[in-house]
Amino acid sequence: MATPARLEWSGDASLRRELVKVSAFFLRNWRMTHRNVFTVFEIVFWPIVNLLSVGLLITFLKAEPGTVVFVLVGTFALSTVQVCQLDVAYAALFDMWSKSIKHQLVAPIQPWHLVLGSWLMGVLRGTAVFTLQAAVSHWAFGVSVLAHGPAPAAALLVGLLVSAAGVGLLVSTLLMLFGLRAEVSAWSGVSLVLLVCGVYYPVSVLPAPLQVVAAAVPLTHFLEAFRAHLGYAPVFTAPLLRGYGLAVLYVAGGYALFAWAIHRARRTGMLLRLSD
Amino acid sequence: MNRVTTTELAVEVRGLDKTFRTGWPRRRSQPALRGVSFVVPRGAIFGVLGPNGAGKTTLLSILATLLLPDRGAARVLGLDVIRDAHRVRERINLSSGSASFLWSLTPSEILDIAARSYGLGAGVRRPRVAGLLEQFELAAHAAVPYNELSTGLKQRLALAKAFVNDPELLILDEPTVGLDPDISVRIREQIAALRRSRRMTILLSTHYMREAEQLCDEVVFLRQGQILAGGEPGTLKREVLLGDRVEFVMEGDAWRSLAELPGVLACTSTAGRVRVVVDDARKRLPELFRHLDERGILVSDVTVTEPTLESVFIELAR
Repeated sequence: MATPARLEWSGDASLRRELVKVSAFFLRNWRMTHRNVFTVFEIVFWPIVNLLSVGLLITFLKAEPGTVVFVLVGTFALSTVQVCQLDVAYAALFDMWSKSIKHQLVAPIQPWHLVLGSWLMGVLRGTAVFTLQAAVSHWAFGVSVLAHGPAPAAALLVGLLVSAAGVGLLVSTLLMLFGLRAEVSAWSGVSLVLLVCGVYYPVSVLPAPLQVVAAAVPLTHFLEAFRAHLGYAPVFTAPLLRGYGLAVLYVAGGYALFAWAIHRARRTGMLLRLSD
Repeated sequence: MNRVTTTELAVEVRGLDKTFRTGWPRRRSQPALRGVSFVVPRGAIFGVLGPNGAGKTTLLSILATLLLPDRGAARVLGLDVIRDAHRVRERINLSSGSASFLWSLTPSEILDIAARSYGLGAGVRRPRVAGLLEQFELAAHAAVPYNELSTGLKQRLALAKAFVNDPELLILDEPTVGLDPDISVRIREQIAALRRSRRMTILLSTHYMREAEQLCDEVVFLRQGQILAGGEPGTLKREVLLGDRVEFVMEGDAWRSLAELPGVLACTSTAGRVRVVVDDARKRLPELFRHLDERGILVSDVTVTEPTLESVFIELAR
């Protein structure tokens, strides 16, 4: 084998350099997704099966057109958050599955490089799911998310993607704390909010204590904000503002927890155990 | 160990302690390092030796900033591994025998992503990745998914990945563990070549004493988290009284007088075979022969054996 020639270290800290680091994790998720046939199931199969089964059920129940949109938007929301948060969780999961986490974290990266790069891939995949479901629901049930203009749909989509970052960060934190024993949270974490955030029904039907819990979930407010355009009065005031406020709070809190979990993993040796 | 100034040190470790605590609700404590101290001069190949579970990986992980110590201090390239961890990471890299990467990615992609995680722009990254693929003989396999590579290729990829940031300190944790002998030889040759061509400090952990003997300028022996001994391999052999062994086949009991000669550490005889341990065979052999010749003792056979690090380790482990 020949000997590697000494190569010059490229240089100063700059925004460009930070973006290159972020691109590492975007590309990693992109390439893994690109090669994984099961990704098709995540983006296409399950969301469409879910949408069609819920859509057919409410058609069978002879629901009013407004109710059909109400319920289907909930389905969009759940699938979009699920797929997007999964990409953020992949930031930890890929390294854990391949036992390469110590080789990843020996590089001079910050947790935000990892999270932002993975989330950007989640934004792509989440948007793809949202768009696909919107197209299928228009074709199959005559429902258009753009019926009240692009702004409500865009506000909903952006809200869902930011919420997904928060969920993904919490899942990644659990993974970093408990290892692959917490893997199930990546697949079921979103389901926990299903009951309380009014995906398939208005929050007003929930018992009062659960409404308090619902108020703490950003998804509740994004759905309420969108459904307000359909004529359903929101239970909580200023839903969009509340939704974004909470989502940003969860992202910030989730990030702090994730960074702490990585630090803790360095202290307890979890980082090494996850690489064995 | 070497008398060098702080700026000449690649690694400086003082009183390092680490205990792993696992289990819940009943916590179990497993001490991994106890008061470990040593220094590594820049440009050296330094071996951390010891059996499985000795604390080698724990020690190297602390120096690679992957693990936080409980007590003590460690400086790498003059930087504190806790306070300046980010800056340490920019200047070091790690390769381990048990390295693993994402199964679907190709060597080219793995190196590209690794280079990106050091913030290397396309202008530097592309030629560097291409160069490493070429230099580590991975170019022909550049587009093969990781899980389809042979063990030897995976190991070479792990080593290549450790060069993406052109590190000043390379940490190699059991780089040849579990490899076929021919592949191990090639990896060792590669490490030796790196040392010859670059002023790079290499920290190498291994439980193969032969590997350490072949590569290392200095070693420390670790057992149950403590350093048993350390120094240059040759010095170490002498320090633990494991000099060269000279075995004579001869008759009579005149061999006893050999024990009084300078440089003779021990002298025993069994069934006509006299075993003499000397500090340096090349230096003492003429004198031994002269002594026997003067007494008219006929030597029918003579064998000289140098001690190995393995024998040092066995001696220390007693």
